[in-house]
Amino acid sequence: MAQLFSPGADAIYRLSLLTALACLAGVPVIAAAIMRSDYVTGVGIAPSQPAPFSHKHHSGELGIDCRYCHTAVETQATAGIPPTHTCMTCHSQIWAGSDMLKPVRDSYGRNEPLEWVRLNRLPQYVYYNHSVHVTKGIGCSTCHGDVTAMQMTYRANAFEMRFCLDCHRNPEKYVRAQDQVWNMNWTPPPDQATLGPKLVAQNHIRGGERLAECSVCHR
Amino acid sequence: MAGAALDTARPGPVGPEAVIGDIGSTVTGIPLVHPANRRWWIAFAGALALLGVFGAAIAWLLLNGVGIWGNNNAVVWALDIASYDWWIGIASGSLLVSAVLLLLGAEWRGAINRIAETSALLCTLAAGLYPILHLGRPWFFYWNLPYPNTLALWPQFRSPLVWDAIDIVSYLVVCVSFWYIGLLPDLASLRDRAHEAALATGKRHGRVWRLALLKAQLYGILAAGWRGSASHWQLWVQAYRTIGLLGVLLVISLQTGASVMLAGSVLPGWHDTIMPVTFLVNAVFSGVGVTAALAVMIRAVYRLEALITERHLAILARLMLCLGLASLYCYGTEFFSTFLHGDAYARATLVRRISGAHAWAFWTIVACILLPVQAFWFASVRRSASAVAVIGILVAIGAYADHFMVLVVTLQQNFLPSSRLAYSISLWGLATLAGSVGLFLTLLLLFLRYLPVVWIAETRRLALDPAATARAAAREPSDPLAATEGDPRDAPLWGVSAEFASESELAAAAEALNRFQSAHVHLDAHGPVPIPNVLHALRIRDRTIRPYAILGALLGGGAFLAMCIYATAYDDTFLIGGRPRFSWPSFVVPSVSFAMMSGTLAIHLALLVLNRLPRLNHPAFNIPGFSRATAERFFLSAEAQGDAFDVERIEETLADLPAGAGRPITIRRIVR
Repeated sequence: MAQLFSPGADAIYRLSLLTALACLAGVPVIAAAIMRSDYVTGVGIAPSQPAPFSHKHHSGELGIDCRYCHTAVETQATAGIPPTHTCMTCHSQIWAGSDMLKPVRDSYGRNEPLEWVRLNRLPQYVYYNHSVHVTKGIGCSTCHGDVTAMQMTYRANAFEMRFCLDCHRNPEKYVRAQDQVWNMNWTPPPDQATLGPKLVAQNHIRGGERLAECSVCHR
Repeated sequence: MAGAALDTARPGPVGPEAVIGDIGSTVTGIPLVHPANRRWWIAFAGALALLGVFGAAIAWLLLNGVGIWGNNNAVVWALDIASYDWWIGIASGSLLVSAVLLLLGAEWRGAINRIAETSALLCTLAAGLYPILHLGRPWFFYWNLPYPNTLALWPQFRSPLVWDAIDIVSYLVVCVSFWYIGLLPDLASLRDRAHEAALATGKRHGRVWRLALLKAQLYGILAAGWRGSASHWQLWVQAYRTIGLLGVLLVISLQTGASVMLAGSVLPGWHDTIMPVTFLVNAVFSGVGVTAALAVMIRAVYRLEALITERHLAILARLMLCLGLASLYCYGTEFFSTFLHGDAYARATLVRRISGAHAWAFWTIVACILLPVQAFWFASVRRSASAVAVIGILVAIGAYADHFMVLVVTLQQNFLPSSRLAYSISLWGLATLAGSVGLFLTLLLLFLRYLPVVWIAETRRLALDPAATARAAAREPSDPLAATEGDPRDAPLWGVSAEFASESELAAAAEALNRFQSAHVHLDAHGPVPIPNVLHALRIRDRTIRPYAILGALLGGGAFLAMCIYATAYDDTFLIGGRPRFSWPSFVVPSVSFAMMSGTLAIHLALLVLNRLPRLNHPAFNIPGFSRATAERFFLSAEAQGDAFDVERIEETLADLPAGAGRPITIRRIVR
């Protein structure tokens, strides 16, 4: 009886089986890695904007308060993107002839807003309110990163659900004293373990179970 | 255990004239030279048309959502869960019948086991689509599986939806394994017949030769190098039976689990304690019905009357009668206990079942499940193939009506009067059901066309008539050493092989060679059926695969249970619906399913690794005429594994054995 397969067939067959098994395990891992990569989430990637606005310069070096531009952050759901008029309060006086600011002046002249490329976007089925976070002691940098160090602004965190839940399940790890909310370089102080629960109680944050309920964000 | 069952081979279920080799050629002939081509194509065209309907129904569903099923009322599942329960019920019943017959060692099972196992597999495929389709967004079906996601959430392990996902995956794995392991020796048989056919074309080049060879190689790849070695068979018997046992446990867990899912709700009509039994009985009943109907159809189309005999049909009919009576008892008990001590809502549900808007379902059950099967009290009906087929199909139809009645009548009228909107079956719901039947039929026809419909190895074992094989032996030349003269003397030697006409002669020769066995001489036996008699001589009698199964099942099930408990009680304690933190009862069903799947995978792995398979190219295939080891011949091989391999003494010992008690037909030297 002749052999149906050549001696090399076994190596190919076993290799194919192993490859199939490796793919079975590997493809989901690779897919998961791609979904978490900066390429998909956009973390750390600064898109080109109509005008090359630098948070580092304005907020970090010049020390302009966040609320000077994002005026609604303490009272409304959205923090607010400043109108061109806010820019022109200063730039009608300084750098008034700069080429870099031409789009801003054009916008002002045409009375049309600048169309900034949006960085942080939540799905429409997520209810989010800036004011409650800020007034209960969650600082800007917890979500947006150290914006004062960003020459061109980029997304600091992928706003996946696990990012939100991490804090909603354990708010005491992130809550700050009220005077620290605007501190863009905040790191948890050494006594966060005792301070955190105290602030949670003081600010009436109903952490853990209540904050992790579906309807808190999905209304 | 296995040996005892295998030794009881006696002629009877197969026709008296059937000789061991003939059975193989009858059955392997179907895939190799398909005898019913025109009828097959007509049937295949019809099945493909139904499959097209399925495609259209799914496309329309994806475009428009589940609302096309007419479920904008309290019957939120429409036909979907009824269809799922129906398919998985038939699958469970088919698998249970096949596995129980295997475990009980019913020697006539070979003729219908393959049909039952295939039916189980294909029904599971059809069933598996439904839970996915009824998700509002089917493309997110994987959200039901516990994978590391960016949501920081676990699936809700307390929910039957997750049970379904785990159940279906486990059931599919167990079904495929059970089916494939049973098929493995038959695939080797097909490989060798196809290879013989290719060699018989007489050419060694050209398209015809390449196609014929490719066919043999495809079967060869599927057979994974099965050589019918005694050690293969030993583990195969153990693996097959153990997976059968795991399958039985899985079926019981799955069917009772399906009823417990309903009982977990507050709706009336789903809380009778006999409900798990009713589910199981009706599932097995519909499985046997479909298996019987398929067996009759396949028997008629491929003229397999000699293999699937009247006796098989009569046994199936008796089985259906028993199950029919059990089913009658279950329905009767439900009525009796509900009217005796059920609450007002449960009684009202029963009244609605008999006389409500969907009363036709109840009367279909009476007309299809409970009454027709009583005809099997008469022996003449039990022997009538058409009666068995018709009643089998009626049972399947009745089983659908049962799932429809249980789900729809209760759902349609819940405790909110304002929700009591009318439900009627929508066209798209029916199209989806018909389409899934098309999927089943398409795959079934492909199976009939390309794979053996009857379990060759098992039916062949039944035909092992010592007298017939002795007659065959008598026709062979008497000097076994004559052929060795032509064998090469100076090429590197793999070993010596001897060919036998019967298992008893093989066993005697193996005993004679036992004393040669050492680190330098490895003995093995090859044959078309399990060869338990030589295991002692080969010194492998105590090998067992079962610890792997137990370990795999315990580890898998324990790990799943631990994951459920960790996820719900520690990682994300999400206490709603009054469920306690440790709600372990809701984790039992998926953990059992997962355990059965892990056990099955462990067995599968052990079967391959312990047998050093897959091995496509092996020196044993160099034995002249070795392809008959998957037809009617037995081979003993002594493999040289060291210098102390005395080929002359082994040959002389074999040649000196008395004729009829161990003397081989031929002895050959095999080169590496």
